[in-house]
Amino acid sequence: MRERLVTVSVSILFVLACLGLFYVQILRYPYYSKLSQNNSIRIIPINGPRGNILDRNGKVLVTSRLSFDIVIVYNELRDKPRLINLLKDVVGMSGADIAKSLEKASSRAYAPFAIAEDIDKEKAIRFDEESLGLNGVTLETRSRRNYIYKNMGSHVFGYLSEITEDELEDLKDSGYRMRDLIGRSGLEKYYESYLKGTDGGTQIEVDSMGRQTRVLGVKEPICGKDLRLTVDLDLQSIADKLLGSHAGAIVAINPATGEVLALASHPSFDPNVFVRPNNSNERLRLLRDRKGRPMSNRAISGLYAPGSVFKIVTSSAALESGRVKNSSYFTCTGSYKFGRRSFNCWKEEGHGPQNIYSGLMNSCNVYFYNIGRLAGVDALESYAKLFGYGKLTGIDLPDEVKGLAPGRSWKKLYRKDSWYEGETLNYSIGQGYLMVTPIQVACMTAVIANKGMATKPFVVKQIGPSPVTHEGLRSVSLRAQTTDDIRRGMYEVVNNEFGTGKRAKAEGIVAAGKTGTAQNPQGRTHAWFTGFAPFDDPRICVVVFLEHGGKGGVEPAGIARQIFEEARRIGYL
Amino acid sequence: MMMNRRNFKDFDMMLIGITLLLFTIGILAVYSATIAKGLNFSESFVFKQINSLVIGLIILFITISVSYQRFIDLSYFIYIVNVLLLVLVLVLGQARLGAQRWFSIGGFAFQPSEFIKLSLILVLSNYVGNRKNSSWGFGSLIIPCIVLAIPFILVLLQPDLGTALLLVPVFFSILIVGGANLKHLGLMAITGLAALPVFWQILRDYQKQRLLVFINPNIDPLGAGYTIIQSKIAIGSGGLFGKGWQAGTQNRLNFLPERHTDFIFSVIGEEWGFVGALATTFLYFLIVKRAFTIANLTSDLYGKAIANGIGVLLAFQVVINISMTIGLMPVVGIPLPLISYGGTSLIATLTAIGLLVNVEMRRSTF
Repeated sequence: MRERLVTVSVSILFVLACLGLFYVQILRYPYYSKLSQNNSIRIIPINGPRGNILDRNGKVLVTSRLSFDIVIVYNELRDKPRLINLLKDVVGMSGADIAKSLEKASSRAYAPFAIAEDIDKEKAIRFDEESLGLNGVTLETRSRRNYIYKNMGSHVFGYLSEITEDELEDLKDSGYRMRDLIGRSGLEKYYESYLKGTDGGTQIEVDSMGRQTRVLGVKEPICGKDLRLTVDLDLQSIADKLLGSHAGAIVAINPATGEVLALASHPSFDPNVFVRPNNSNERLRLLRDRKGRPMSNRAISGLYAPGSVFKIVTSSAALESGRVKNSSYFTCTGSYKFGRRSFNCWKEEGHGPQNIYSGLMNSCNVYFYNIGRLAGVDALESYAKLFGYGKLTGIDLPDEVKGLAPGRSWKKLYRKDSWYEGETLNYSIGQGYLMVTPIQVACMTAVIANKGMATKPFVVKQIGPSPVTHEGLRSVSLRAQTTDDIRRGMYEVVNNEFGTGKRAKAEGIVAAGKTGTAQNPQGRTHAWFTGFAPFDDPRICVVVFLEHGGKGGVEPAGIARQIFEEARRIGYL
Repeated sequence: MMMNRRNFKDFDMMLIGITLLLFTIGILAVYSATIAKGLNFSESFVFKQINSLVIGLIILFITISVSYQRFIDLSYFIYIVNVLLLVLVLVLGQARLGAQRWFSIGGFAFQPSEFIKLSLILVLSNYVGNRKNSSWGFGSLIIPCIVLAIPFILVLLQPDLGTALLLVPVFFSILIVGGANLKHLGLMAITGLAALPVFWQILRDYQKQRLLVFINPNIDPLGAGYTIIQSKIAIGSGGLFGKGWQAGTQNRLNFLPERHTDFIFSVIGEEWGFVGALATTFLYFLIVKRAFTIANLTSDLYGKAIANGIGVLLAFQVVINISMTIGLMPVVGIPLPLISYGGTSLIATLTAIGLLVNVEMRRSTF
């Protein structure tokens, strides 16, 4: 009987399941009942440390250190007064703090709660000895993030903070647990999945006194992957030093590859503040500072008018249009009449006749009003976009913003108005609606340095043992004559004794550049300098931006010189 | 089609009664397992589950009102539509719990893999029914194998290992009852086992992990092994009479993950003890027994195969689910029919019961 075959096998399965239930619920009842009563399986996590962050030469920038926490399970505390005394005497906590923490712990009576975090090693050892036999209290070791150079490079590295309950709900499957730290900005955020270690742990059975009776299993932790950066420790450190008390940003990239050599933003913060548990006031101050915005990475998330550094784009648009040649001269009388309005050059008495070289060298507004109008707003817009404005550079850091390269259709759509010719004049000198980030300015400069090849900036060149592949250079189709003319103009800016950027000239380094002084509604002008070196075979592009920093030719150019010099000192140039 | 008097007389109140009883046990357990979430009644799991019951019962009665022979006639069409839905769910299904098993239709999560089990039963029953008096060679196994393989692979890709594996015993039982050569089937089973290494390659990491953990739960006591260990403690500590409804400590203290869905049996075992767990298992056995009785009493091979397939399907779902909660089988993630929270599973099971009643009412007696 075929049906019988099926019926009998199925019945056997049912019988087996019932036998299984009998075994578990009747025969093993005492065992499981005890486990359940004592709630007696404990998991002692073994932290899988986060990956380190290394500079381009392998020097450690960010690492992890061992730290000690005192963790309690509230409903297992038998001798509360003794614990309170120990916390007071050995750890040095105040009575009020202890009371507050115990109160918090009681709201989750079954979950482990860290009552004292990151205590000194000596204290930890003493506590461990003296807390012997104290129920519901354990000393846990955890690895904590250590940002060795504190404020230096903080915007590149980012910071970590404890995972929230909502996030935990989503990320449970990726192996996150309560109290885990997760990247909040910078590389820590962008490369979270690589940096994160996988926790291991020992599962132990404990008796009703909380003593370990046997080990049920061990799972080895897995370390996170190390990130090898393109950033150079020395260049980064001098960039941070040179920014000093200025608000602003410095970006240095290798135009040939897109490697970011240094990326600094000020005001900065010390990411270690977010690691230590007892710094909540400092944390709040950093997060709430609306004016200084120390948490914002100005190099990629700050939007500013580019001012005269944008004249590089205006030059390209005009030269490519064919309406302007390097032999075309326009005379600057100190101002430019447009209708009934008069647009001024920064030099009241005027620059006299100007061509592309002297126009760039003197940063003569009148020259650029003329060639900007000849090119027209549509060409300005399309060349601005060609150079990377109005879109993300795609750097491997979070929270990059794309800024704005305006045009007729943008104005119609967002301002419900048509484009006015007067706005084209402002556009030509990098004012008006235009908004750019310092990293975009660096990418624009790289196009000229590379004679028409655009590059995509990146910070990480190796994850663990495997190199990260990056897209190479991309041609933006400029005529060789155009880039040659602009390069020569930028050469004059730095090397001519009348050049606006002559302060960037360093002994023995042939650099080229462009200054910018951008008016803005908030007050004093923003100061820009962007340049590259060596002139013939550029290996570094430097952008210095100082918020309300005055004239681009003064401080920023001087800072750029010191960066060129440091690059040579370390043997990079 | 109207039901005539004989149909009404044969309407199986007993079968429907047990079904509703199991559903009630399920509702109590789901209530106990989710009360800690503190949801309003209108958004509670219990409320949603009762909604699904209403829909399921409507579908059950629709299933009964049309002769099962119509379903057999349409079986290839139903099967193809269902397979297409599986493809679609893979392409645009929402990712939940790392798996793509759902469609969202008007706020309802719809899981085509729950229905593919029934579609497979219908299409295989059709096949064996059509071959009633012909001989079974090796070649005649080709079409059933293809019919099995397509949804098997699609479901596995979702990835839903449990449901994919369920299709296998259903497949064999229908072919056995349908008259296929037992030697050939045996040979096929052996070939299938030999192909396991290939099958292993298709599995996702977490599925491999679960299978490895079954062999040794201590490999990963923090992750995959945790559920098994906690579930065993829950059921084991229930003892003979259990800790009482809503009094399970493992349950209430949040030690059991997924306890209102795949691990609902742990809650029953903990709160109602061995007595409750055994009673629940026995109720399932009665349904399965009933399915086999119906199969035996039906002379029509189509109906016989359907009833048999449904019996095997329910039996394996129940036994696998219970076994995984007490660590007798790997955690493969299949719900306990009628009891686990989940609309599609409930509706699919009720449809299966409907088919069963249908066969019983319309069978041609000897």
